[in-house]
Amino acid sequence: MGQTRHVVLSIMLAAAVLAGCSKQQADAFMRNINESGGLKQTFANLREPTQAEEIRIGDGVAETLLGARPLLDDPDLQHYVNAIGVWVAQQSERPDLPWHFGVNDSDHINAFAAPGGHIIVTKGMMRQLRNEAELAGVLGHEVAHVTQKHHLKALRKSALANLLSASAAAATAESRHAELVQKLAGPTRELYARGLDKRDEFEADRMGVVLSARAGYDPYGLPAVLTTLASADPKDNFLTLLTKTHPPPQARLDSLAPGLATLDGIKAPQNPTRFQQYTRKLRVASRKSGLQIGYLFPS
Amino acid sequence: MNVRTRLFAALFLFSSAAFAAESGYTIKATDLKDKPYIDAVTIVTLPEKTQIEIVTRQGGWMHVRAPDKQQGWVRLLSVRLGNPDKRAKSGGNLLSAIGIGSRPRPTTTATVTTGVRGFSEEDLAKAAPNAAELEKMKGYAVTVADAQQAALQGDLEARQIGYFDADGKTMKEK
Repeated sequence: MGQTRHVVLSIMLAAAVLAGCSKQQADAFMRNINESGGLKQTFANLREPTQAEEIRIGDGVAETLLGARPLLDDPDLQHYVNAIGVWVAQQSERPDLPWHFGVNDSDHINAFAAPGGHIIVTKGMMRQLRNEAELAGVLGHEVAHVTQKHHLKALRKSALANLLSASAAAATAESRHAELVQKLAGPTRELYARGLDKRDEFEADRMGVVLSARAGYDPYGLPAVLTTLASADPKDNFLTLLTKTHPPPQARLDSLAPGLATLDGIKAPQNPTRFQQYTRKLRVASRKSGLQIGYLFPS
Repeated sequence: MNVRTRLFAALFLFSSAAFAAESGYTIKATDLKDKPYIDAVTIVTLPEKTQIEIVTRQGGWMHVRAPDKQQGWVRLLSVRLGNPDKRAKSGGNLLSAIGIGSRPRPTTTATVTTGVRGFSEEDLAKAAPNAAELEKMKGYAVTVADAQQAALQGDLEARQIGYFDADGKTMKEK
């Protein structure tokens, strides 16, 4: 047994060196393994990805998320969501990330953030929103996931993703990038189906409210969305993944209540008119297909 | 001034919006206020599960009509949408439980599962990376200047507000 363990550790050391670690990092890596025995922990501590690596990892994650459902073909709406998203992201601590926002062609109600600044909102979520303040609240929540590196940290905790940052560092050539994307696909599918730690979701809610308020919106945009969700059947077919991966909407509202009370004095725009203009096609399309969706649509 | 900017400008001039009436109910005993402020006069205390019609929303408040035609403001956090006694059972589609307040439920909701484009756990499990879609997404990027222009046209003024913790206390900058 001891012999096998030794061989395995030697291979891992060699792999770490090959993966671009310095001798010191590799030594620390071995010390950690010998002292704590916590393999996952060791990998997680190996090295913090640089911002450039974070962005490359985020590209890979986003490619898989977009593989699950492509973008909606509506350039005006896509540009609009980017304009609002970039404006909200400018209020964050990481305004200089290459922020990209997209609406995918899914009837399910959800939104996703990938490391490095890729954010995807479903068409189904867009249909449930009443105004731009609600959109800003949803985008603010996702922007917070990125600035706090919630998904990046979660990916680093999974043993497979361990050599990711080394791969990301090397992923300059196209073939290397494809290799990184392939390595990421499994952990991405697993993470986005499992969801983040609940504490990350509550934190993203608190920060999302503040980001949208900093952007000049009515701070109650995100709470209004959560009220919509809290009013729905959590087992609704179009909410199953969101329900599985997030705390119950009522718990999220309860957790926001003390902070919201401090923002009560703010009177700020919700911009329903502009939002409805850009989402008009969605509503026309859903009426034509016989779907009953959201609050904006009179019977 | 590109096409997008002009589009934003055009929309800014467009000022009226048609709203669908929403209805809801109180999830706890709630004061109906004559103005949207905590210290405004209380018209009446609405009991739990009072059915209300939502006229407008402003910040954390909803302007509502109560059953006896009384109008006033209630806290958004005290209201759920729809009808307290008609929450849909599991297996529903498209939030059929909500938004039905003052509107009849369309007869088509039971049959829409075919042709639905999902993002379910199953869709995710089958997802293969799609590099072309990511390039497309990057193609929709806007500049910070575009975003600032959109904010200006949307009457949005940036404010300095600190993050708060779970107790609602303002935190030091992250």
